[in-house]
Amino acid sequence: MDFELSDEQRRWQAKARKFATEDIRPVSLARDAIEDPAKTWDWDLFTKGSKLGFRTMAVPKQWGGEGTDFVTQALVMAELAKADSAISKSFSQCWKWSHLIAQSCTDEQKARFLKPFLADDTFVLGKGISEYDAGSDNRLPPDDPRAGLKLKAERRGDEWILNGSKAYIANGNIGKLFFIDARTNPNVPLKQGITMFLVPRDTPGFRSGKVFNKSGWRFYQNGEMIFENARVPHANVVGEVNGATRKSGGSGGDTTGGDLFGDLELAANALGICDDACESALKHARETKLFDRQLVQLKVNRMHALTEALRSFVLRVAWEHDKRIHSPNPGLAMNLSTDVVQEVTEIYMELVGGTPHADKLVRDAFIWSHLAGDTVQRLKTARRL
Amino acid sequence: MFDLRLSPEQLEIRDTVRDFVTREIRPVALASARLEAFDRPLLTGLLEEASRMGLRTLALSEDAGGAGADALTRCIVTEELAAGDPDIAAILAHTAALAPLLEGTPFLPPFLEDDGFHLAITDCNAAQGMLEGVAAGVANATIAKLFVVRTGSGALLVPRETKGVAVREQPGDWYHGSCGEVTFSNCRVPAANSIAAVGTIASVLPAISLGIGRAAYEAALEYARIRVQGGKPIIEHQAIAAKLERIAISLEIARAAVWRAAWASDHPEAIADRSLPDLSLQAVAEAYAPQAMLAAAKDAAECFGAMGVMRDMPLHKYVRDARICLHS
Repeated sequence: MDFELSDEQRRWQAKARKFATEDIRPVSLARDAIEDPAKTWDWDLFTKGSKLGFRTMAVPKQWGGEGTDFVTQALVMAELAKADSAISKSFSQCWKWSHLIAQSCTDEQKARFLKPFLADDTFVLGKGISEYDAGSDNRLPPDDPRAGLKLKAERRGDEWILNGSKAYIANGNIGKLFFIDARTNPNVPLKQGITMFLVPRDTPGFRSGKVFNKSGWRFYQNGEMIFENARVPHANVVGEVNGATRKSGGSGGDTTGGDLFGDLELAANALGICDDACESALKHARETKLFDRQLVQLKVNRMHALTEALRSFVLRVAWEHDKRIHSPNPGLAMNLSTDVVQEVTEIYMELVGGTPHADKLVRDAFIWSHLAGDTVQRLKTARRL
Repeated sequence: MFDLRLSPEQLEIRDTVRDFVTREIRPVALASARLEAFDRPLLTGLLEEASRMGLRTLALSEDAGGAGADALTRCIVTEELAAGDPDIAAILAHTAALAPLLEGTPFLPPFLEDDGFHLAITDCNAAQGMLEGVAAGVANATIAKLFVVRTGSGALLVPRETKGVAVREQPGDWYHGSCGEVTFSNCRVPAANSIAAVGTIASVLPAISLGIGRAAYEAALEYARIRVQGGKPIIEHQAIAAKLERIAISLEIARAAVWRAAWASDHPEAIADRSLPDLSLQAVAEAYAPQAMLAAAKDAAECFGAMGVMRDMPLHKYVRDARICLHS
């Protein structure tokens, strides 16, 4: 049993804390307050973070990345999220899919996509699964072939022709490369009939649609993606045709970084919000002398107890990932993080009232409801037990 | 005698207001463009229309030109209005509660004539007929044409245009309706504007959270019946059905608490005759309803998946509005 961090882990943590404090926090509330959802992104900030290594830190060293371990990644996500949860997610979203490239792409694909990704500070990754009529059905697919995503891909020679649309896709309007799940066999249940494609931004026939106007996580943009006879080379198929769920997102048996990382990602990010709420609450209580009151002490106690419990769970999950131990813990930690981040931020608001900061934290925390703590995510975890 | 039936008048006004909210308020208040905008100006036209229906003068006696509505009736009306727009509900609730104080004063006729005439109540120190002081967080402050100012010993009716009265809108938008800071400096009010000390005014504000919770519940119920995932409408999945059940239960309990508090204020003798406990049922309603309705709104929004956080849909507003009830 050893809770000590390595020197390298501490270095990353300190670097993330510095960037978060000096660069992210000062712009966090202002970015959140931009009314047009398509204008919240800050390329200068993102580029600066990229140059510090925060965009590419999950790419293995042999491919020119930082090759950080999962514990380091969890620490960095929490530090960045402490200053702004959505900005932290903007960076970690790139890690999520660089795990996927590293684990599931051929060497030829890695050479074609990882190199430009590493070289360009504005190269952002995304993945398209959700559609307007297919959300929960993609996560817990029923056997009915009609259920689940509908984006169609048909083979024509050396190309695949994609038709349909995706909705609520993170980085959908700013990303340069996407992993797109498409239906390659509409006559079988979803799990056996979808294929994952690498779709670069400049793919003919692909364009971005509207940017969704979210109440929380406003910096982190979700877009609509439209495919009208979009032509994708066969060389961009990830893994096998009709084999996408075996590569990511399949309930239970994930073999790649994407799904494995995603659960940890949301839990670690929630931890950062909790740290922010705890620190801000304590500061407020002490400055206003409210801390003398028993009820305030009890609230602050509850916030810290929940936060520290979540920290223990997050770091354990990260450690298990580094040891390649498979367990339901990532899912459990992600589900629990929803309850924790929402209770902690609501208590924070009870203490300070509807300040712009508390308002942002509760709105950001509510995003967990549909990503990490909805009933489908909890059922999925239960079925892994 | 334990009787939970509403009177024919209460049922009629509930139906009338519900119909008005469905036909007139909701299409405007919950239009996508308005939901998306950060700034949501008060719907003054609809507020005046609601006033023309008699909702501003609801609690005035029939002799004074009102409907003589009791606190329970005002709770019913407030819930219905809040299901469409908590801002309109809050403003009318405040004005309606204060209006009976104008009976027998020269301010009653102008109040009755002007559908935009609203009231606010605040406290201020008075010395030798002069008001001096600042009151923050005054509901209806920016829209009120007359302030009821409690001075300790009694109360004064102070028109907005009185010299020495200044109103500043409360920064941000963390309130329902209208809110501001009222400053009285060297403000001389004629003795003729004095009224008797203001007693306890039954607050129907917890009914605002009921309206918000109910709107969220009805939206989730409707959606759960039509949204098909996992091979059937999601209401047929235990996980969603249990969530809707929890919302429905909390809504019923919250309404029972709010109505009981209102009924208690309408029947002050009920404590003496031991029908009710000697306990502030108002405090019970205020403590329970807003927190239960925030949980209900969050549960309802979750039924919508990603749409529960999208600004062009009403769910995010229900959650936020419920949170404002709890934390303001």
